Amino acid sequence: MEFEFLIDHIFHKVSVDKTGNALLFKEAGASFEADIRSISENVLSIIIEGRSYSATIVRDKDKKIVFLNGRSYIVEKPGEGAKAFHGGEERTREGQLRITAPMPGRVIKINVAEGEKVRKNQTLAIVEAMKMENEIKASCEAVVKKIHTSAGELVDAEKLLIELELEK
Amino acid sequence: MINKILIANRGEIAVRIIKACREMGIATVAVYSEADRDSLHVQLADEAVLIGPPPATDSYLNMGRIVQAAQAAHSQAIHPGYGFLAENANFARLCEKEGIIFIGPNSNALELVGDKVRARQTMEKAGISIIPGMKSIPKSVAECEAAARTIGYPVIVKASAGGGGKGMRIVSEENDLKPAVEAGMREAKSAFGDESVYLEKYLEEPRHVEFQVLADNFGHIVHLFERECSIQRRHQKIVEETPSPALDDALRAKMGEAAKKAMQAAGYNNAGTVEFLLDRNSNFYFLEVNARLQVEHPVTELVTGVDLVRQQIRIASGEKLSMAQNDLRQRGHAIECRIYAEDPANNFLPSAGKILFFKEPKGPGVRHDGGIYSGWDVPIYYDPILAKLIVWAENRDLACRRMTSALDDYAIIGIHTTIGFLKDIINHPEFRAGRTNTGFIKRYFESWGEKGKDPGMLRPVLAAAAFDELNPAAHVQGAESRPSRKERFSPWQSLGKWRIGGI
Repeated sequence: MEFEFLIDHIFHKVSVDKTGNALLFKEAGASFEADIRSISENVLSIIIEGRSYSATIVRDKDKKIVFLNGRSYIVEKPGEGAKAFHGGEERTREGQLRITAPMPGRVIKINVAEGEKVRKNQTLAIVEAMKMENEIKASCEAVVKKIHTSAGELVDAEKLLIELELEK
Repeated sequence: MINKILIANRGEIAVRIIKACREMGIATVAVYSEADRDSLHVQLADEAVLIGPPPATDSYLNMGRIVQAAQAAHSQAIHPGYGFLAENANFARLCEKEGIIFIGPNSNALELVGDKVRARQTMEKAGISIIPGMKSIPKSVAECEAAARTIGYPVIVKASAGGGGKGMRIVSEENDLKPAVEAGMREAKSAFGDESVYLEKYLEEPRHVEFQVLADNFGHIVHLFERECSIQRRHQKIVEETPSPALDDALRAKMGEAAKKAMQAAGYNNAGTVEFLLDRNSNFYFLEVNARLQVEHPVTELVTGVDLVRQQIRIASGEKLSMAQNDLRQRGHAIECRIYAEDPANNFLPSAGKILFFKEPKGPGVRHDGGIYSGWDVPIYYDPILAKLIVWAENRDLACRRMTSALDDYAIIGIHTTIGFLKDIINHPEFRAGRTNTGFIKRYFESWGEKGKDPGMLRPVLAAAAFDELNPAAHVQGAESRPSRKERFSPWQSLGKWRIGGI
C-alpha cells in the first residue's frame, strides 16, 4: 500500500509491504523494516534496525499527532494540509489588517478609535486570558477602519476585533 | 481536632491538599465554579459544592459563598491554597468570626504582611534591610511620578496586595509610568480585588532567594532553608530549586535568622515564606512575605523530608511544632519546573483547550503535582499553571539530568505547554553552572524557538503514521467523541477511599 503524508508540512510518500511479523517501508528510494506493536490505544512500540522507539499517537480531527522523544510531529493528509499551508501565507498578508483575538479570552480595553492612525507595534487592544493581560499590537502603520468588539466581551480565538486599512 | 477541611481552591494545589488530608484521615470538601465541574479536584474530594459562575470574582473569590459552603458541609477548617483568597485578611477574619479555622496565619499578621507597604515599614523597624521605595500607597499618578524621580528609574510598579507577578510593571522612563501604573491597578484589581499599587527601586539582575518558615501558635519558629527562584518570566517563577548555588553555610544561617526575625516581627503563625533579593555582593534585602503555601513548596519538602501541608494542618489544629531548628537538614538537591498552558514559541500566549493525551513522567526521585488528565478542557478563566514537575537527586548536576530525562518523558498533547522551553533552560550552560539571576530569561531566552527536529525520528514517525492508517481498529478515541468518565480518569487512581474489608 502507498501513503502520502505531510509531516510538519513536508511531503512524504511511503509504500508499505508485510514481511513476516514486520512491515517493509520504502521511502525516497531507501527501505527499512519496522516491527510495530500496538501497546494501547495511543501507544506504539516500534523497533527499526534494532533501535526501539515508544511513540504516542493521538488522532485529532483531520490530523494525527505523533509524540516521540519529547517532540510532537504533526501528520496530515496532503489534500487538506497543503491547502492550509498556502492559504496560510495569503492570510498572513491580509491578516496584518485583520486584527483577531490570538486566544480565547476577554477584551479588557480598546486603545484606539475608528479613523485613528496607528504606528507599527502600537497597542490596539488588551485581551485577558488566564489572568494575564496580552497587548494586541499593530503589525504595520495603518488606519483603524472598524472596531468589531468592545471592552468586556468574551471572545474566541480568531474572532475579528479590529479592521485596519492602509493609508491612501 | 479537625476532621473535615474545605479547600477553597482548584487545580494542582487543591489536589495536593486533598491528598495530604486523606493521609491524615481528614475528609475533604471541594468547591468549584461552573467551568470546573470536570476538574480533577472535584473528582478526588469526598464532597463537592458548586459556588458560582466561571469568573473567579463570582466563584473562587466569593467569600460569603465559600464560608456558607463550609458551614453547610460542617467543615471545621478552610485551606485556601495559594492565590485567590489565600492572602486575603478579610477572608481570614470572616473565617475567625464564623468560627471556622483558616489554615494560614492569623488575620492580623496576614493583614500586616499582605499589605506590602506596611510590611516594609515593620521590617525596617525590626532592622532588616528593605529595597528603597515608597512607604505608603500613592493617591495619584502625580505622586508616583514625584516618588519615581526621587527613587530614580528604573522603578517597579507593585500591587500592594499582590504576588505571582500580577500587577507588576518595570518602568525605565517617566513617559511609561502612567500607563504602567494604570495597567498594574487593573491587573491587581482583577487578581486580588484591591487596586493599590506602589513603587520600588528596580534592582537589576539580582537573585531571588526565599526562606520557608513554620511557626506554631505558641511562638516556636523554624526555617526550612532557602529556595532559589531566580528563573522568572514576567516576574512569574518558572524554575525553582534548593539549595541555592549562591549561598554558603554562613550566608544561609544569616538569612535564615533574618527570615525568622521577620516573621516574629509580624506576629506570624503557620507556614510562610520570606522573600529576599540577593545582589552580587551577597547583600540581601527583604522583598515580601508570602503568607501562604507556595507553589514551589515541594522542593523544600524533598530536601528536608517535611510535609508542609501536613504541618500547616497540624499547626492550625493547635499542635506544637514537632521539630527544632537543629533537627532540620538539607539533603540532596531538588528542582521544580512549572508546567504552564502557554505557547513559549509565540510570546507565551495562554493556550486553553482540550488535552488530547497526557502522560506524566515517573521514576526514582520524580514527583508530579498535577491537576490535569487526558480529555480535560483547560478553561480560560484561571491561572495557566497545569502541573509541577519536581525531581530530587543527590546533587545539583544529577538533579538537572533527572529533570531533563523526566521532561523528555512528559507528554501533554493538544495544547501548547512550556515543557520544551523548560528543557532548554535546564540544559543551558549558565543554568548548569548555577549562574542564575532574575534577568536570565530575558538575557538568554528572549526570542526562544523550538530547536530543529531530529531527522533520525522521521522513520519511526512515518512508520507510526502508516501503521495507524493500516489498523483503523485503533481509532477508538477521536477528538470529537468524548470518552466516558471512567476512561478519563482511571479508577485505579481514584479508588483511594476504598479499602478491602473496610467499613
